[in-house]
Amino acid sequence: MAVEVGDDSEYADGVDSPMFDIDTQRALRGSAGILGFLVLWWLVALTQPSYILPTPAAVAETFVAEAASGDMAVALLSSIIHWLPGAVVGTGLGVAAGIALGWSPYLDDISAPVVRLLRPVPPLALIGFAIAWLGINHAGAAFIIAIGAFWINFYGAYGGVEGVSDDLLDVARSLGVQGDVELIRSVVIPASLPEIMTGIRTGIGRCWMLVVASEIFGVAGIGREILRASNNLRVDVVITYILVLSAMFLLVDTAFRAVQRRALAWR
Amino acid sequence: MTDETTQPRVRVDGIGRRYDTPQGGVQALQDVTFDVAAGEFVCIVGPSGSGKTTLFRIIAGLEPATAGTVYLAGDPVEGPGPELGLVFQEYHLFPWRTVSGNVGFGLEKQGVDSERRQQRVRELLELVGLDGFADSYPRDLSGGMKQRVALARALAMDPDLLLMDEPFGAVDAQTKRMLQDELLEIWSETEKTILFVTHDVEEAVKLADRVIVMGTEPGHIREVVNVDMDRPRSRSDAAFGDYYERILDLIQS
Repeated sequence: MAVEVGDDSEYADGVDSPMFDIDTQRALRGSAGILGFLVLWWLVALTQPSYILPTPAAVAETFVAEAASGDMAVALLSSIIHWLPGAVVGTGLGVAAGIALGWSPYLDDISAPVVRLLRPVPPLALIGFAIAWLGINHAGAAFIIAIGAFWINFYGAYGGVEGVSDDLLDVARSLGVQGDVELIRSVVIPASLPEIMTGIRTGIGRCWMLVVASEIFGVAGIGREILRASNNLRVDVVITYILVLSAMFLLVDTAFRAVQRRALAWR
Repeated sequence: MTDETTQPRVRVDGIGRRYDTPQGGVQALQDVTFDVAAGEFVCIVGPSGSGKTTLFRIIAGLEPATAGTVYLAGDPVEGPGPELGLVFQEYHLFPWRTVSGNVGFGLEKQGVDSERRQQRVRELLELVGLDGFADSYPRDLSGGMKQRVALARALAMDPDLLLMDEPFGAVDAQTKRMLQDELLEIWSETEKTILFVTHDVEEAVKLADRVIVMGTEPGHIREVVNVDMDRPRSRSDAAFGDYYERILDLIQS
């Protein structure tokens, strides 16, 4: 793919175009992969009744119908209403707790046994609490999502803070930084930002997965639609809403990746 | 009361450091005592195991002594602070900050307003020959450049003492010579007091007014050598060679 860049074509050929070719190649291979997947799906679907596996075309038809009826927008909006606060609160608390316990051996000693006890509890197992404490509503669903985000971010931040070099802290102290809060603000957080951001990004993905789980007890949303369609053996609807979930994940993940790249430009 | 002008800038008074291990105690330093006058350039040399770095860390306030006290301008050192400028072998720049962000870090923490800070950072970058790199990140710099940034960052606080631990130990020989010359220039320009730890005898003879030679088991001062030579000093000078041999003998004997 030669791109004419006027007189600078030598530069373009030498530096820019190989990059461009690699990206094009990647995109082409990716497209081929998608196409191959669709063909395989189609072939398998032809041998199966539609309640086992509908064809891509049938799913596309359902997708358009769900979108046109407005049901999709309503479900999506509902999911976002608990996804967003769940993800934000869980991420915020997880990062804060991770930094505090990673920084202070004292707090770490106190909380380590409780942390180890609570860590393996799957968010789904806490649905009872979500219902009892918050009810079958957005708050309850947000709680489940927040639990999932919390642990990923907790361990991301904790590990990042543990890895901050003592030498950098010494340097900061010798430059007049005093007290835990100032050290955390000016050294610990920026130094562990790569790990913190990896945690946030992983957590965001996890939260979209938990949207389905969080709606298992009746809160409206994409997950609810998937569960209801599963009960009715409407596989085409199930796939439709899975696609919505994937699209949302992709959108948020791509946006966050851009933020991450910007914030970590110094690496 | 001590007279301000005659009071040493640094007084290292009877410093000892003992490490207790399950196998018993290890005496890393014993009764280390010396003064550094204001504006003086003092090098500490010694073989590995002579406690040079431990002494550096104690003077810097990064590690407690088990005996004795370090006084800076008459006051005991109780921890790292802006009156002490530290420069390490491994630079320890803040990788997330640009060159000017690193140099201005301390001033920022002291609440110096942005305009005066930027002015000062510009002057310092000029002093260390890094004007034009203000917006670069440490990852884009060579070792020599990183050490210049670290030096400018330490100087930014206008410290009473510049404390350097093998600062040129991680750069190639040519860069090392260049940085030594630059440091001498900066020293005469800023009239800072410098305490410089090195294992390189040639470096010590080239830089120091006085060389403190450390011995091992336990780390102690073996001898203090006054280097009575005009600067710039040349390795090809007979006197340079004499000092070099003498200090090397002291270390090896």
